[in-house]
Amino acid sequence: HHVKGRQRSASIVTVEPVGGDSLEEVLDQNAYKNINSEWVNYKGAWVIHPVLIIIGKIMVDVIPGMHQDASWTIVNLSYLLISYIMFHWVTGIPFDPDSHGGAYDDLTLWEQIDEGAQYTPSKKWLICTPIALFLISTHYTHYNPWLFAINFTALLVVLFPKLPQLHRQRIRFLYRPGYTSGAATPAT
Amino acid sequence: MATAVNSTGVLPDTTPALEPILHYVSASLSYVYHSFLSIPGSSIVIRYVRSSYQNDPFRTVLEVILLLFALRTIFQSRTRADRSTKNYVQLSESEIDELVDDWIPEPLVTPLTPAEQAQLNALPIISGAAGPKPKLASTGKTVLNLASYNFAGLANNEHIKEQAVGALRKYGVGSCGPPGFYGTIDVHMQLEQDLANFLGTESAIIYSQAFSTASSVIPAFCKRGDIIVADRGVSFAIQKGIQISRSIVRWYDHNDLDSLEEVLIGVEKEMKKKRAPLTRRFIVTEGIFENDGQMVDLPKLIELKEKFKYRLLLDESISFGSVGRTGRGLTELYNVPATHIDMLLGSMATGLNAAGGFCAGSRVVTEHQRINGTSFVYSASMPALLAVGASEAIGVLRDNPGCLRELVENVRVVRGVLDRLECIEVPSHPASPLIHIYVRSGPSQGSTLEVPTLAARKGGKSKTTSLEPAEPVTFDIETEERLLQDVVDEALAQGVLISRVKRLRGQEASEPRPSIKLAVSAGLTRKEVEKAAGIIRAALLKVLGRRR
Repeated sequence: HHVKGRQRSASIVTVEPVGGDSLEEVLDQNAYKNINSEWVNYKGAWVIHPVLIIIGKIMVDVIPGMHQDASWTIVNLSYLLISYIMFHWVTGIPFDPDSHGGAYDDLTLWEQIDEGAQYTPSKKWLICTPIALFLISTHYTHYNPWLFAINFTALLVVLFPKLPQLHRQRIRFLYRPGYTSGAATPAT
Repeated sequence: MATAVNSTGVLPDTTPALEPILHYVSASLSYVYHSFLSIPGSSIVIRYVRSSYQNDPFRTVLEVILLLFALRTIFQSRTRADRSTKNYVQLSESEIDELVDDWIPEPLVTPLTPAEQAQLNALPIISGAAGPKPKLASTGKTVLNLASYNFAGLANNEHIKEQAVGALRKYGVGSCGPPGFYGTIDVHMQLEQDLANFLGTESAIIYSQAFSTASSVIPAFCKRGDIIVADRGVSFAIQKGIQISRSIVRWYDHNDLDSLEEVLIGVEKEMKKKRAPLTRRFIVTEGIFENDGQMVDLPKLIELKEKFKYRLLLDESISFGSVGRTGRGLTELYNVPATHIDMLLGSMATGLNAAGGFCAGSRVVTEHQRINGTSFVYSASMPALLAVGASEAIGVLRDNPGCLRELVENVRVVRGVLDRLECIEVPSHPASPLIHIYVRSGPSQGSTLEVPTLAARKGGKSKTTSLEPAEPVTFDIETEERLLQDVVDEALAQGVLISRVKRLRGQEASEPRPSIKLAVSAGLTRKEVEKAAGIIRAALLKVLGRRR
């Protein structure tokens, strides 16, 4: 891996590219269709986002004594947390790992969608859904500045890795070359 | 949205020039507002925005920025996928037309170069079955065959032939399918059982082609992220298997177990420094190396493997059926139980004069390959008559150890003659029935095949990640091939059939040295072998002695 940033001392923040375009990677990725990333293009996978959010909101509202502020915050944060873990934390593929020979081991689900093309319909939907959820939640509540800051920051943290500039890049803090954390997940 | 306009239509303290512009702007804005109100649902939008505002302009600004970001994302057009951007070359129509006009199709079969034509002309043609003493088609002479692999002398064995013909009548010729899909016949299962019993392992699995055994077994167990420590001189099949497996490879010096130990220590340090998760680790080497006939020190190898906790994959393609008291291979020669080797590969085409290859090991190892061995799953299984031939050959080997005693004698005779020659180098192990002959490099270069002294080695530490050793031996391929071909032609004229090793130049990772390959056979008597060795010696002296 070529690491940008000073290598003599541990930089506080470095950006490291992962994955590769070598012939072997390309061959391994193209050997079979990657069903692990195709499913986000289906209709049901788009519809399930608002459906799950509504169900979650209802279930959180059922709890006695729940204020709207807290309820919307809980729904917002859990949606952001789950979608972050699913799309930007876990790497590799759960189904058919052997037929791709480990070519996807370093890529998150976001980077695998549509073979790395940017601004595809699925990616646009997945960017707009958390933004829409946030805007609706601020409309229906009277957030105090702290709650607003929490929600907004969480939204930015989840939107940040979706930017095309961060495609197949990992941000590492206090990175030393040759050092891996031991877990096969991105340490952004 | 109403601007302050007094009754005279003139804004206070504005210059008369600006007045019509401001009047126009306010009129158009109120027109837009009224037309917006006429759209159904606009009041909802206005109410939404008003209640969202909540008297906090800062928040509203942030939300508007988010909204604009979302809109920008929606309207951005799609970029190309990763792969295509790198290799996509945009050509204009005229460029495409030009390229199409310039294109001259290559012939389906390229005409042979003079060297290839000469090589083709020099190939001897045998009439009748191949065996220890075939008859040449061109002259009708009988020649002594030291080119075909026939170590135990099982070629043209009458008993095996009878059994094979019986199987042919019973099962037909082909097996009509891969082993997992209607291609397994009871004789295949019997052969696997026979192999396991013969070698002393728990079970065995057979492949229908010997070359694809190594290149299927290695990727079945070694995946991306695993570590393979391999010998630099392994055969082409093993190199391909390692390449397919996508594992991390570290090479050690050819047949040098001290170098292996260094590499194993180095790998341990490297992985500890990286704090990488523990993955599977393998040592891949051959029993008798196909490229030069050297033999590996099996007990020391097993000791290293146990010490560093690696799995051993030993390719006994040459040594199975030719070495040991009954031909069981290196395990019998060194008196090591075969269960110490995790995957023992062998070739029935070479050792048993049948066809195909096998992998012997524990039941877990072989059962895994029934789904994950690519050649087992996707290639047709071997014909029944060849499987029966292999089973019978195992029986012959087990019951008649005398044939291998003859082989040992013959090898000793040939080595006795060849070792005294000054003009050649023989890198093979003294007990190996596969003997390679290299042209000795000139006096200026000195003998480059000796093991470098310790001082020299420490000075030029070889990089474990590259296939090239620290001090690669230099040789002139074309000259040596020509000289060796002259030797082969001369020997054939005198009645001994030998062969150069035919290589795919440019395909192997490191170019092997040109050599003549002698496959000593127990099918020839001692007198015939002595005569053949004498003829080869004369041919070598004639061609290579002239060179000085």
